[in-house]
Amino acid sequence: MEKLNILIAGVGGQGVITLGKIIAQSALISGVKALVAETHGLAQRGGAVNVHVRLGEVYSPLIRKADLLVALEATEALRNLSYADENTMIILNERVEKSVLPKIRMLSLEEIKDRLREYKVLSVNADKIAVQGGNPRGTNIVMLSVMMELKLSKFIKEDVLLSLLDERNRKVYLLGKQFIKGWLYAK
Amino acid sequence: MKKSLLLGNEAIAFGALKSGISVAAGYPGTPSTEIIETLQRFKDRYVEWSVNEKVAFETAYGASMMGAYSLVTMKHVGLNVASDPLMSSSYTGIDGAFVIVSAQDPSMWSSQNEQDNRYYGLMALIPVIEPYDPQSAYTLTIKAFKLSERVHHPVILATNTRVSHVRGPVEYEEPSSPIFGKLKKKPDKYSLVPEVAKKNREEQLKRWELIQEEIKQFNEIEGEGNKLIIASGIAYSYVKELAPESMKILRISAPVPLNKEQIISALEGVDEVLIIEELEPIVEMQVKNIAFDAGFSIKIHGKDYIPRSGELTPDIVEFALKKFLGLYYEPKAIKIKDIPPRPPAMCPGCPHRSSFVDIKRGITLGGLSQTFFSGDIGCYSLGVLPPFQEQDSLTDMGSSLGIANGVYRSTGVIPVAIIGDSTFFHSGLPALTNAVYNNLPVLVIVLDNRVTAMTGQNPSPSREIDILQVAKGLGVEYVKEIDPFNLKESVKIIADATSWVKQNKKPAVVVAKRACALEVIDKFEELPIAEVKLEKCTGCTICYDYFTCPAIIPREDKKATIDTNLCIGCGACIPICPYQAIELKGKIPKGWDEVWRS
Repeated sequence: MEKLNILIAGVGGQGVITLGKIIAQSALISGVKALVAETHGLAQRGGAVNVHVRLGEVYSPLIRKADLLVALEATEALRNLSYADENTMIILNERVEKSVLPKIRMLSLEEIKDRLREYKVLSVNADKIAVQGGNPRGTNIVMLSVMMELKLSKFIKEDVLLSLLDERNRKVYLLGKQFIKGWLYAK
Repeated sequence: MKKSLLLGNEAIAFGALKSGISVAAGYPGTPSTEIIETLQRFKDRYVEWSVNEKVAFETAYGASMMGAYSLVTMKHVGLNVASDPLMSSSYTGIDGAFVIVSAQDPSMWSSQNEQDNRYYGLMALIPVIEPYDPQSAYTLTIKAFKLSERVHHPVILATNTRVSHVRGPVEYEEPSSPIFGKLKKKPDKYSLVPEVAKKNREEQLKRWELIQEEIKQFNEIEGEGNKLIIASGIAYSYVKELAPESMKILRISAPVPLNKEQIISALEGVDEVLIIEELEPIVEMQVKNIAFDAGFSIKIHGKDYIPRSGELTPDIVEFALKKFLGLYYEPKAIKIKDIPPRPPAMCPGCPHRSSFVDIKRGITLGGLSQTFFSGDIGCYSLGVLPPFQEQDSLTDMGSSLGIANGVYRSTGVIPVAIIGDSTFFHSGLPALTNAVYNNLPVLVIVLDNRVTAMTGQNPSPSREIDILQVAKGLGVEYVKEIDPFNLKESVKIIADATSWVKQNKKPAVVVAKRACALEVIDKFEELPIAEVKLEKCTGCTICYDYFTCPAIIPREDKKATIDTNLCIGCGACIPICPYQAIELKGKIPKGWDEVWRS
């Protein structure tokens, strides 16, 4: 069976672990093996976090090269570039969150995109779509709908996924789906 | 049989339940915490968060003396704290069954070191079981209990971050009825006076022989060929995915002790061996010993191919495999540079952030021109980062007071010891006793946020036992409480305590008491929110560069703005602003203050 490797990166508190959990739970119900490697404890307090999600006939908990590199915060895509190659689709949320260290200069979204110019990048303002859907904390769910449309739907059933989301998140999911369908159409 | 998506730690808990545990104890520590959290849902057995790992260990050990099936859990460094009873338990052996979970943290995601606790197995003569994924964590926990029961000896289950904190499908069965103990007295076994200990030592060595026999069932040979891979614990998950099919693999799920005959039979007909294991060469040393004694002269690779530091990754294992198989492989190194660092930070509303501000201002006002901030283990370890830099050392649980003693005795500089409430009870108590007993001039700040916060809001004795009373009871003469959000009053008291210490050359204790913000926001539906009055804001940068609440964001014109998603309306930033430019808006929920101050 085919394998799918997803690296989800973000800032602790953005719902990175929750996102991995939803994917794995849907996979299990859809009859597909899933492994999710998380980091807990000190790692999650506003710091850089990543989660390795692997689907299919997999044993290793960690990813070598990701099929999808999903960054809930744009800087975190750069931090995890060692997991990407020319085949990786990088899904970028158009958000730069300040690191809490004092007097630090963050890279702008343009600078980040410039550094990613040799990669396949899909840029989406997931924060905005989440707010439109009435759930400002639903950024991770917007990214989920983009992942579904690109690769995930081969592994998990959409009705299973939707059954795991509450109404607020379902609304956000559908808005995200609209966006990605439009993006793919335009392409 | 059920099949669910479980975290490795949940799988260990279900394995223990299936085995019939009746008593479980632990001290929270990443990556072990979720085992006890899961067990706490089952009310038909006794499960506790103990005050520290030593007491937790003794609780489970004592239960097994009575014939109960018991479990103790801790992170790897916790076993150092419990190492005294660990050694004794191997001498006495046990009745019932007793499994010790030591959760290792290679790469130090959330720890001060990455010590390999399989060494404890070799030192204490206790078998070590090492799972490789959530499913094996379940199955091997059950097998560990069975082994312990059969050989009347404790068993260590050494899990790690990439087993404990991996979610995967696990098939498991319903819990069995708890096996409690019955009062029995065997002083000739459990009272380690020299006469008993000497006899026990001989018994222990006999059990060790038996264990070496029993251990075979944990390890298995797959495939064939003249090249052999020995994969211990988590290494098997990588090898299973990356090694060519039908390759000869010896899967080791019990790295301590190895069985001589099993290893010899695996080595027969083999020209070259690659041992893949995380951290220390525990399997490698034993295999080389056995091979040497048995007269094998074959090349055995191990730590020459696999790094001794950090966790295994698919890249590391792939590189070692290719090299071993004589295949050309050049790992593609991607240089990632100039990315703004993003270390973890104290949460919005964290009382410790305010405490660190209070402490710095207070001791300066109190006339302490130079000091040593003797730090400790907890969320407040993050005070090591700028702008606070108020953790000049943090080495082990409860270290703040002991290290402070050494600093003062060697330099004469009055130190400030900063310790959390859970850590205070864990191992700060003997050190505070020592400070009183030996007259140490030290300002002790107990950061009391009412929980063991870093591991996920686990309970702390501070909810039941008043730290002020404890300090007074131990003979501390200067004991006061502050509210860290009350900047003015806190600075005044810390200044007063500082000059008292200077004058009296004795310890003073100040308890900074306010609830963990995560505890508070869980209890309210709607929160107030901070707002920056832009006409008053001068762009002085103090709130975002010297207070660094994640919810305060600099604008392009240097003025501050509030991230409405992150702000929890705690109001801690209000006294920080010298221009009174920050105000709270929105309704203060009913009971708000009581929860923060409870």
